[in-house]
Amino acid sequence: MRTKLAVVIALVVAVAAPVIAHHAFSAEFDAKRPLTLEGKVTKMEWINPHAWIHIDVTKEDGAVEKWMVEGGTPNTLLRRGFTKNSLAIGSEIKVDGYQAKDGSMRANGRDLTFKDGRKLFLGSSGTGAPKDGRDKTER
Amino acid sequence: MIYRIRLVLLAVALGAGASAADKGEFKAPRTPWGDPDIQGIWDFRTITPLERPKALGDKQVLSADEAEEFQAETLAVRNKDRRTQDGLSTQADVANAYNQFWWDYGNQLTEDKRTSLVVSPADGRIPAPTPKAKERYAGIRSRRARPAHGPEDRGAFERCILGFNAGPPYTPSAYNNNVHILQTPDHVVLLIEMVHDARIVPIDARPPLPGEIRQWRGDARGHWDGDTLVVESRNFSDKTSFRGTGKNLHLIERFTRVAPDRVVYEYTINDPEMFTEPWTVAIPMKWNEQPMYEYACHEGNYAMESMLAGARAQEAAEEK
Repeated sequence: MRTKLAVVIALVVAVAAPVIAHHAFSAEFDAKRPLTLEGKVTKMEWINPHAWIHIDVTKEDGAVEKWMVEGGTPNTLLRRGFTKNSLAIGSEIKVDGYQAKDGSMRANGRDLTFKDGRKLFLGSSGTGAPKDGRDKTER
Repeated sequence: MIYRIRLVLLAVALGAGASAADKGEFKAPRTPWGDPDIQGIWDFRTITPLERPKALGDKQVLSADEAEEFQAETLAVRNKDRRTQDGLSTQADVANAYNQFWWDYGNQLTEDKRTSLVVSPADGRIPAPTPKAKERYAGIRSRRARPAHGPEDRGAFERCILGFNAGPPYTPSAYNNNVHILQTPDHVVLLIEMVHDARIVPIDARPPLPGEIRQWRGDARGHWDGDTLVVESRNFSDKTSFRGTGKNLHLIERFTRVAPDRVVYEYTINDPEMFTEPWTVAIPMKWNEQPMYEYACHEGNYAMESMLAGARAQEAAEEK
């Protein structure tokens, strides 16, 4: 049962995942342009439908590029206990994601980590997310 | 009668307070004017799939061990880096948008450990589409295959008109799985967190709208059937669709408070133009002590601008 069920679930989730994104990220970002950005947070926009983190990326030649990184809904962040103070202006972060299809300085924020390697969004129990306290049966 | 039996089964499975419901002892609290009180913020997150995975055959319920495994595996798979594992691609990775921190599916199956939210037909699957429905899907697919000419070529959820779990009907999805129910003697308001949509349902026996008037969310009329609020909706627009429904959908939703902290939400899709038979879904809703948050989707929908810019870039690249 163990193997069979695991395979079933893997298939279900692999197929379902692309459908569930609120916005078609594959229409917005280019799978052929994966990127890693390192920069300083200059602003976080707590807006719907998705939050945007603005970062300044300093290139090797000293030029500064202003990037916008798309995340998820602020509602989920609030329920996870993520607040305005969780990501201070000036924080240095690394973004793993994909660049916008039109080549502009926008990316999705697949994984976000602090410079020292700590994950920006600490997770638990494999969900990548801490308990939010809403579900009393949640472990 | 079938509905009553199913409700009792669900109530038994729901645990706290449900044994009273099983014996018929639980009675929903009343509003000052005497209606059953189903008001509150209700959370319908669950990782129970809408349809039963085909490989599970006729298995309707998982054992406790299987449920544990299902939950753990589901969460692990969802959090997987799709760029490198199992032959999945960067295309799948970018479509998934971001890691699990941002998602809010919950991490539990329904308490009765069902293998699908669909409770009828018995195979837990959405019935086969009609030939007319297949023709319609083909049209939608061809529109989606080319770069979007403008916002109208993208889905209603991307345009912040209605979201995928904004309903009607409501079905658990990636986040904002909360509905705030408010009552007056002659109306019920269903404020759904996704796209922050307030659906105002008259329950005063007024006649329905004429058939030629079509609305995004249909035309809803409610009534009380014992302690169950029944909401019937027709007059849908052909601009929206729920899992393949068409504009002539007759949607029947039922809300029943089965315990102080539980509402069972059931809906039946009657749409003979699009499906070969009706189908019914049952979703437990839990009392949520936390507030609803506004989801003003239009506020910063930069994504639409990015998607259209992406479509123009794709066209330019194809012309070269």
